[in-house]
Amino acid sequence: MCGMKPVCKIVKPLLTTNYYDAHVRVIGLYKAYYRFIPYLLRRFDIPKSEEDCRWKLREMFYKNACVTDIRVIDMLVIKGFMNLKEMTNNWQQKGHVIANWNPSIENKPCDFVGKFLAGVD
Amino acid sequence: MLSSLRSGVQSLWRSSSRALQTSSSLRHDSLFVHRDTPEDNSNTPFEFSPENKQRIDALLAIYPEGHKRGAMIPLLDLAQRQNGGWLPIAAMHKVAEILNLPRMRVYEVATFYTMFIRRPIGKYHVQICTTTPCWLQGSDAVLQAIKDTTGCEVGGNSPCGKFSLSEVECLGACVNAPMMQINDDYYEDLSVEDTKKIIEQLKRDEKPTPGPRSGRYASEPLGGLTSLTEEPKGPGFGLQDALKA
Amino acid sequence: MLRQPLSKALALSPCARLAPVTGRRYAQVQAQPEKVEVFIDDKPVYVLPGTTVLQAAALVGVEIPRFCYHERLAVAGNCRMCLVEVEKSPKPVAACAMPVMKGMRVKTTSDLTRKAREGVMEFLLVNHPLDCPICDQGGECDLQDQSMAFGSDKSRFTDIHFSGKRAVEDKDVGPLIKTVMTRCIHCTRCIRFASEVAGIDDLGTTGRGTDMQVGTYVEKMFLSELSGNVIDLCPVGALTSKPYSFAARPWETRRIDSIDVLDPLGSNIVVATRTNEVLRILPRTNEEINEEWLADKSRFACDGLKRQRLVTPMVADSRGNLTPVEWEDAIVAAAQAIRDCPPEKLVAVAGEMADAEALVSLKDLVNRLGGEHVYTEQSFPLAGAGTDLRSSYLFNTKIANVEESDFVLLIGTNVRFEAPLLNARLRKAFIHKETDVALIGPNVDLTYEYMHVGDSASIVKELASGTSNHEVLKRLQSAKRPVLILGADQLKTPEGAALLAYTQELALKLQGKLEDKEWKVLNVLQRNASQVAALDMGYKPGVTADALKNAKVVYLLGADGGQVTRESLPKDCVVIYQGHHGDRGASIADVVFPGAAYTEKRATFVNAEGRPQQTLVAVTPPGKAREDWKIIRALSEVVGAGLPYDTMDEVRERLADVSPTLVCYGEVQDNNYFAQAQALTQALHCYFAIKRRLISPECIPLLYGALSDEGHPVVVLRAALSDPVSM
Repeated sequence: MCGMKPVCKIVKPLLTTNYYDAHVRVIGLYKAYYRFIPYLLRRFDIPKSEEDCRWKLREMFYKNACVTDIRVIDMLVIKGFMNLKEMTNNWQQKGHVIANWNPSIENKPCDFVGKFLAGVD
Repeated sequence: MLSSLRSGVQSLWRSSSRALQTSSSLRHDSLFVHRDTPEDNSNTPFEFSPENKQRIDALLAIYPEGHKRGAMIPLLDLAQRQNGGWLPIAAMHKVAEILNLPRMRVYEVATFYTMFIRRPIGKYHVQICTTTPCWLQGSDAVLQAIKDTTGCEVGGNSPCGKFSLSEVECLGACVNAPMMQINDDYYEDLSVEDTKKIIEQLKRDEKPTPGPRSGRYASEPLGGLTSLTEEPKGPGFGLQDALKA
Repeated sequence: MLRQPLSKALALSPCARLAPVTGRRYAQVQAQPEKVEVFIDDKPVYVLPGTTVLQAAALVGVEIPRFCYHERLAVAGNCRMCLVEVEKSPKPVAACAMPVMKGMRVKTTSDLTRKAREGVMEFLLVNHPLDCPICDQGGECDLQDQSMAFGSDKSRFTDIHFSGKRAVEDKDVGPLIKTVMTRCIHCTRCIRFASEVAGIDDLGTTGRGTDMQVGTYVEKMFLSELSGNVIDLCPVGALTSKPYSFAARPWETRRIDSIDVLDPLGSNIVVATRTNEVLRILPRTNEEINEEWLADKSRFACDGLKRQRLVTPMVADSRGNLTPVEWEDAIVAAAQAIRDCPPEKLVAVAGEMADAEALVSLKDLVNRLGGEHVYTEQSFPLAGAGTDLRSSYLFNTKIANVEESDFVLLIGTNVRFEAPLLNARLRKAFIHKETDVALIGPNVDLTYEYMHVGDSASIVKELASGTSNHEVLKRLQSAKRPVLILGADQLKTPEGAALLAYTQELALKLQGKLEDKEWKVLNVLQRNASQVAALDMGYKPGVTADALKNAKVVYLLGADGGQVTRESLPKDCVVIYQGHHGDRGASIADVVFPGAAYTEKRATFVNAEGRPQQTLVAVTPPGKAREDWKIIRALSEVVGAGLPYDTMDEVRERLADVSPTLVCYGEVQDNNYFAQAQALTQALHCYFAIKRRLISPECIPLLYGALSDEGHPVVVLRAALSDPVSM
């Protein structure tokens, strides 16, 4: 009795019920971002071109290309729209936007002299 | 009405601010730290006189080896007597040197005992007892008489520099109250006139007769003996017959 | 005057016997008297007769409150805080002064005891000002703590509402101790310390009764090299540290256990820091070295750690001015110079505060490049055994064992100046243990009486050969546990070798006759904290003019002693200085590496006894300064001779390889081979006439002899105190 386990768990959908609908929403998000890029460059003084932004957009979407769970896709889309809304409403500042390129993270020195010169132990 | 209230508050404030600034009452008429003065500093020369040096040798001989510091009080007393009744710091240093002690150990003793006087005083140091029995017998009037005749204030020297006046606690002559001590002598059963006479004599550097001024020999009753009037009994008085040999 | 027969001294302060001395006990085993049983709060305890109630209570873990009682001072019994009830005694007794009696039943928690304590506390607080918020002792005040624990919440004494509290004027006892005498509760600990331990009888009580005050009576400074200890002893805020006044509260500070490096003894200290700043230095109890005292130099020199520091690497520019640069540039500049230098022309000189890790790194670097010239500043004769045998340059008797000696001969050393705490030990032995002291050298004030043998070094020769007819020879020969202490400063003179040889010979002769075969006679008192570790590693003592004359690159590891000057070097010589203060060394350098001071690094220091101890990081090094061994390690890689250790543990392993004694922290390895050392010396026939007087600048009673009672050489004192670190 207790050995019986359901093979599939029935879950409540977030927004969409099938893969196709989810895909449509993803494309919609992509287009929304794509069309916002010129405005973004006008609104935020960042040292990037439209081309850079499109590449970054592609990169961000492809980062999640392997996701197949509809609920996760839905959630990511929701978060994407939230992020877009923050940008259009100027709730995000220049630093938040440029942070997508992570310019300030450097590798920590791991050899003795490197550590010595950097003053880290 | 308001203005009167305000002034009242102000006066309160003023009085309380004054109360904050009170210092503690003077507890003692001498300081327990040394202050360099022209008369009393460590550079003033002090040397025992040849006679006193002999006395010192005799005094030191009393104390066994290793306990010579016992002679400190007699030595300080010698120094004070030689120096006209007060003890300069140079004399303390001298005593420390003789006894081979740290100077601080001598300072400790010299400040502890009130009979070592560490400020210049006059030739005659008048110490008037104002403790209860003497006070009941009129020591206030005697004190006033001394102040008037010498010009001293308590704890100070007279303008002529010859007298110094101190108020002291009981000197143990209560039966002959009121009394005062001048240098080493007791003058007892004083009246105001007696006191003035004594001071006048001292001003002329005459030596007044010490002791009671009332005609008593010592501390016997003024009106003659009231008990023990008969001849003293001989030896063996009141002994049991059996014990009489 | 203080000196008393052994039995009496013991009766007066039985604590001297009970104090846990971990060093070897040499005291003769007397017939132990039978122990008596006493009951503390119904707990039975067996103690020797003569023990006080307070000590007996301590044995069963009952602590009785006290103000005037202190383990290392004579019993005064004047604060009355330690009153306890004893069964069948009509009144409470003062536990600190009451010897135990058989079957005594002490009640430390009874109502009577509690009431007595409360009463005493009430009396103490009658005249003690309630200025805790502005008092520097606040937070570490015995009176505060004990009034919380044992005092009443109110006072019944209302007189002071009318007359005010007793007020006492503050004394001026110098630049180190701040006095607020109104707070004094007359425990007389400072007076007893000055008279018994420091040997400066300048403090005392004047006046009597309510007018009594503690002070110096005359305007006078408390001129003792141990004066700072009265600050720790004072149970209230009457004596506080002047440099530390209004600086911090004890609960704000972080306390880090460390080691002092300003004298050769390696006193144990606690460094109190806040916001990356050393605020003060306190002693830490170590019975084998400093007991619980600390010399003023070690205590007050920490202000020098904030001044004149090297905070950034520097390189001399084209006009010869040192210019701040980045680490990279400085290291490259130094590496360039070292790479261009033939190994035999590379000279390394270690100064007096170099730690063992830096020393081993520097030596390894020089050796890897093929060089051999590693020197220390302090010299030591190399004739005979030289520094090959450890026993030749150590304080072999050990500091704690000096107390057990019955005759001490000091040769050319002003112990009071060179190692104040060793002098305090000697004084303790002189007073309590009947030890006699003799001195060959200038007639200085050591705070106790000693036999002055003369100031010529030839006396040592006469003593060694047995031709002397001085009394001191007889005393040495009849002594059961003689000790010779030779000042290391005498060994830098040309006659140093002979002096050492004769001292060794004398020591060996005396040692041969001793019943106690384990007793060590010969001692050399080094002058600084780095010398022993450096000699253990094989540094050559004393940098020679020859080595400097041919040098192309000189690497100074904190060498500020003035042995290396621009005049002693060739014109084109590159001087690399690594250290923490802009001192003599940095002023002649072409490249400057800022290092860490002893409070800023974890490092090993070996004291004069040969006892390795480690300092810990209390604050971070200022600016771009780095730990010393890391600088050398980084430089070695750029030079192309990378050292094989990257972490502190690996450096310590390397230290252990060099000499296992360097990492036995807190322990002293026994050293023998006295005979071999002497034989080697004798084989060289280096004996020659020595007529020189034993005078070196340090032995001249510069500090204390020149200070008369009336003098006010505050500046001299201050300068001497902070000299080693801040110049």
